[in-house]
Amino acid sequence: MLWAALLLPCAPDGTPPSSDALHGLATWALQFTPRVAIADEAVILEVAASVRLFGGRRALHERILSEARTLGAVALAWAPNSLAALACARAGVPGAIRLPLPGVLDALALQVLSAARPHQLTLAQLGCRTLGEVRRLPRGGLTRRFGQALLQVLDQAYGLRPEAHGWVELPEVFRARLELMSRVETAPALLFGARRLLVQLCGWLAARHAGITAFTLHWAHDAMRPRDVGEGGALTIRTAEPMRHVEHLQRLLAEHLAQVTLAAPVGDLILEALDVMPLQERSASLVPDKEVGSEPLTRVLERIAARLGADRVRRPVLHEDHRIEWAQDWQPASLALPRSRVASTDTPQPTFILPEPLRLALREHRPIFQGPLMLLIGPHRVEGGWWHRGEDDACSHHVERDYWVALSERAGVLWICHERLAGDATAWYLHGLFA
Amino acid sequence: MPAPTPLPRPGLAPDPAAPSSRLGRSRPEIAVAGVWRGAEIGRQPSAVVPTGWAQLDRELPGGGWPTRAITEVLTPQPATAEWRLLGPALRQVAARGGSIIAVAPPREPYLPGLQPAGLDERGFVWIEARTLAERLWAIEQLIKANACGAIIAWLEQARAEQIRRLQVCAQACEALVFLCRPQAAREQSSAAPLRVHASPDPDWALRLHILKRRGPTLDRTLTLASVPTGLAGLLTPRLLHPSRLFSREVPAHAVGRPAPALRPRRDTAVQ
Repeated sequence: MLWAALLLPCAPDGTPPSSDALHGLATWALQFTPRVAIADEAVILEVAASVRLFGGRRALHERILSEARTLGAVALAWAPNSLAALACARAGVPGAIRLPLPGVLDALALQVLSAARPHQLTLAQLGCRTLGEVRRLPRGGLTRRFGQALLQVLDQAYGLRPEAHGWVELPEVFRARLELMSRVETAPALLFGARRLLVQLCGWLAARHAGITAFTLHWAHDAMRPRDVGEGGALTIRTAEPMRHVEHLQRLLAEHLAQVTLAAPVGDLILEALDVMPLQERSASLVPDKEVGSEPLTRVLERIAARLGADRVRRPVLHEDHRIEWAQDWQPASLALPRSRVASTDTPQPTFILPEPLRLALREHRPIFQGPLMLLIGPHRVEGGWWHRGEDDACSHHVERDYWVALSERAGVLWICHERLAGDATAWYLHGLFA
Repeated sequence: MPAPTPLPRPGLAPDPAAPSSRLGRSRPEIAVAGVWRGAEIGRQPSAVVPTGWAQLDRELPGGGWPTRAITEVLTPQPATAEWRLLGPALRQVAARGGSIIAVAPPREPYLPGLQPAGLDERGFVWIEARTLAERLWAIEQLIKANACGAIIAWLEQARAEQIRRLQVCAQACEALVFLCRPQAAREQSSAAPLRVHASPDPDWALRLHILKRRGPTLDRTLTLASVPTGLAGLLTPRLLHPSRLFSREVPAHAVGRPAPALRPRRDTAVQ
């Protein structure tokens, strides 16, 4: 058995850490093992079965240590049983894995065991200040004087008796609250606290083998807020594909928070998981991965869209229409593309188009655009659309145009159209470029 | 009694003659590999994508557009020659399943026109970044992510150090990165290892001048035959040389004089 104890700091006046913080840490720890329990001010977990999965004892130690620090843990210790791990963590000893357990525990002060604390004064007056000194007392007398419990805990800590734990269960929904250490006045500064909640969220997701596609960060203004300011605000963030990558979620959140202005200082943060989907994990590979250091395209586009705006990162959607304005449409890159594909036409089509046809000036009844134009190929008649009416149903999108491929000495090959206006007047328009 | 054959000692090759001869043969190559003579075209250490024109491939280090580097394409006007020049390479990228990302194109790209050139509309993304800072940031993110097949970005004004920053990032990027810049950038120095100037020629060609490459400077201008996709089948023999039609339309009576100088004189003669 391999136990780890993660210690949360007590307040300076001795108040134990809040139940929220303990349960948050325990939820996060459930990604490593299902055997997680809360003991006083610490979270204890048994990870013997998961050491290989996480790349060995040292790698697991590093990972637990770095992530638990984000969540506020101050000490991590390892031992063959939970009481010994907790005692080592409280005493600031790294653990008793390589050394024999009695040798390590004997030297520790009495208050590292919760059961010994009520008797600490009496034992000190007997001349017992360490666990080793208590163990050397006769067992019968110890039981008669201090009760069964002290001896039982001592035996459990030394691995002579089995322990029983009440395991922490994984919550069905994720909703974590964090009270900020100080009032936060700017939205980007909320990120520090939010990162703590995101680490918890990712631990919860890992324990459920799931990824997230939407989550909400709520913030509550503190009691000192002006009267006209509401209770708080919220920011919902959606991702294109399920994921549980703390760094990416944090960057997305940072981009969105950068655009938020807080109405009043914030005291509390709540992170809530909205849409959770199963996530298929990739097996680790023996050979070095080719894609080391690269990031999936959807993720980077999502990040760019978070800063520039979702409608400015687009993918084309083609329609079966021969009018240029309606043959192509753009949608945000995060949306799924339609399944059906549109057959390409065999008529020449430009590669760049103008959003609005540009009316060309005439010289000697011929269109000019950066100099004289020579009409090379055409006319190519595009007509139709009387059935297609605008949103206000006022005008029809009917077009009657003769397209020509025109050549300009300076502007290259152009796609211009000749259209009849009211009466007998006609006009030439530039509509596309063969770049 | 026969002389005892020497046992091969562990760690040594059994035949002492072979390694020395192998070394002897390979030594000049080893020596040459680190030395680049100014008269020859440099080698491209990374993979390249053929440009689609054999005469251009011959002039480029490695024989194509380089990956792990940025390539500058200067044009006299934006949206005149970019897809024609880059199309053959982008077709290969798209065929391999790479996505093509256009950052801040000067006009709206029209996919029905790009499809015949081999681009897939499903792998095409248009990022509309308005300010220079947004464009540079988006390009840098895309390059660092190393997730797409090709990035084509239009930059009107960019300083040399901004280009250098992109070039440093691009050294780890396996995609093709093209920066389309105006002709005026020709005078600026740039960290891009390959810079070309492309302008459309009326006779269905692109005039390409390699401004900078790893190798000797190239003085001549390359003329690359290039008909916009979709038009190739529609050209009649008369249309194969539109420049002749141009000269017929704008009469050039005085050979060697610019046409604008000619026009007022003709007008006075008519009056």
